[in-house]
Amino acid sequence: MMIKEIITVILIVVGCFFFLAGTLGVLRFPDLFSRLHALTKADNLGLGFIAAGMAVYIASPWAALKILSIWVFTLLASSTSCYLIARFQKEQEQPENRKEQE
Amino acid sequence: MSILIDILLAIIMVYLAIQCLLTPRLIQSVFLFFAFGLGLALAWVRLGAIDVAITEAAIAAGFLGVLFLDALKSFAPKVSVKQDNLEDIYKLPRRNIKSLILPRVILVLGLALFLFIALEAVWMIPDGGGLTASAEALLPQSGVEHPVTAVLLNFRAYDTWLEIGVILLGLLGVFVAGGIKLYKKPGASKPDPMLRQVILFVTPVLFLFGAFLLYIGKTGPGGAFQAAVLWGAIGILLHLGGKPIFAMIPRWLFHLILTMGLGFFLVLGFLLIADGRTLFEYPPAYAGLLILIIETLGAISIAAALTAIYANLNQMEEETNEVEPTT
Amino acid sequence: METYQIYSLTSAILFIIGIGGIFMARHFIKKIIATVIMGGGVFLSFVSFAQRDAITFADPVPHALVITGIVVAVASAALALALARRIYQLTGEETFTNDK
Repeated sequence: MMIKEIITVILIVVGCFFFLAGTLGVLRFPDLFSRLHALTKADNLGLGFIAAGMAVYIASPWAALKILSIWVFTLLASSTSCYLIARFQKEQEQPENRKEQE
Repeated sequence: MSILIDILLAIIMVYLAIQCLLTPRLIQSVFLFFAFGLGLALAWVRLGAIDVAITEAAIAAGFLGVLFLDALKSFAPKVSVKQDNLEDIYKLPRRNIKSLILPRVILVLGLALFLFIALEAVWMIPDGGGLTASAEALLPQSGVEHPVTAVLLNFRAYDTWLEIGVILLGLLGVFVAGGIKLYKKPGASKPDPMLRQVILFVTPVLFLFGAFLLYIGKTGPGGAFQAAVLWGAIGILLHLGGKPIFAMIPRWLFHLILTMGLGFFLVLGFLLIADGRTLFEYPPAYAGLLILIIETLGAISIAAALTAIYANLNQMEEETNEVEPTT
Repeated sequence: METYQIYSLTSAILFIIGIGGIFMARHFIKKIIATVIMGGGVFLSFVSFAQRDAITFADPVPHALVITGIVVAVASAALALALARRIYQLTGEETFTNDK
C-alpha cells in the first residue's frame, strides 16, 4: 500500500516539475517557435507522468486505459495545433514562399 | 488542507476575470477567457457538479472561446501578425482622460458598494433545505438513476425543451445578422493535409465518445448536452477540414435535423396530454426509453445548431457586397 | 469556512467584475466576455448553494438549471457576437458610437 503511494507521489512530482519547466519556457523564451517547443514537449511529458501517477494510484485497468487515452488525445491535439501555429507563423514571415508552393 | 486549493482556485479565477477585462489586447483577452472557463470547470468539480464541469469545459470555454477566436479575424482583418506591430493591433485609440475621471470614480464607488451588498447577501443567505429530498424521493419513478439527468429530462423537462428552442432562436438570430451562408460551400478554405488526417482519425473517436457520454447520462455524469457539444465539435472540425457536412446534405434534411429534437419533445408532450397526463409526465414504465430517445434526438439537433452557428459566423465576412436573395 | 462558502463569495466578486467590465470595457468582444463572466458568477452561486443543501447527493435542481443556463448563455453570446460582427462589417465601428 505504501509503495503504491510513494510511486504515485514521485511520478506526480516529476510531472509537476516538467510542467513548471514548460511554463518557464513559455514565459522566458524569446520567439514563438522555441515557446511552442517548450509548451508542447515539456508539458506533454509532464502530463504523461501525472497520468501515469494517477493510473498507479487508481490501480484499475479500465480507469488506467481511460487515463492513457486522455494522454494520447492530448498528445495528438497539442502536436497538431503546434504544427498549425508554427506553419501559420512561417507563412506570415515568408509570404513569397507560400505563393510559390500554391 | 484541501480548503487551500479552493482559496487558490478562487483567487486565480478572480485574477483571470479581472485580467481578461483589463488587458488591452483582444487576443490576450480571449485566451484568458479560455483559462477562466477552465478554472470555472475546476470549481464545478470541487463543488461536486461533474455534469456542469463537463458542460462548462466543452461549451462555455471550448465552443464559445472558438467563436471569440474566430471573431478576432473579422475585427482586425487587414493587419498582418508580425512581431513588431503585435502590440498595437487590437488596441483602440485612447479617450480623453479628463472627462472620464468623475464617471469612473462614481462607477468604482458604486461597484464597491454593490460588491459589499452582494458579499453580505451570499454570506447571509438562509438555508431553505433545497429540493434534494423531493428529488431523491421521486428518483425511482424517473426512469434514470442519475439525479441531474432525472431533473433535466423528466422533472423539469420543459426547461430542456425550451432550451433547445432557445438555441434554435440563437441560430435564427445568427442567420438574420449574417445571411444564411451555411448552404454554400466555403470558398477559399484549403485545409492542411496533416489537419485533414487528424480530423479523419479524430472524428469517429469523438462520435463514439459522444455516444458514450449520452448513454452514461442514465447512471452518472454526462448526458445530452455534453454529447451534443462533442458531436458539434465533429461538425466544426469537418468544416475546418473542408467538408462542411450541412452544406453537403439537402436543405430539407438539414432543417429536419435542426428541428427534430424540439419537434419530438412537442409531439410527445401533446401525446401525453391526450393520454390524460400533464405535459412531459412520462409513464414510469417507458420513462427510461423515452428519455434516451429524447436525449439522442435533442443531442443531434443541438450539435447541428452549434455547427451551423459556428459555420455561419465563420463565413460572415465572405462575399460582403453580395446581397442575399430573400424569398 | 466551508468549501461552498469560498465559492459563493467568489461568485459575488465575479458578478461585480462582470458588471464593471460591461461598463468599462469598450470593445464589443470584451463587453460580451464581461456578460459571460457575470453569468459565470450567477451559476457559481447556484451550484455552491446546491452543495450546501446536499443530503445523499448535491441538490440536482440547481445543477440542471445551471447546465441549461450555460447553454442558453452561450447561445445568446453567439447571437451578440454575430450582431457585433455585422455592426463592424457595416460601419467599421468596434465600440458603441457614443462611447468615444
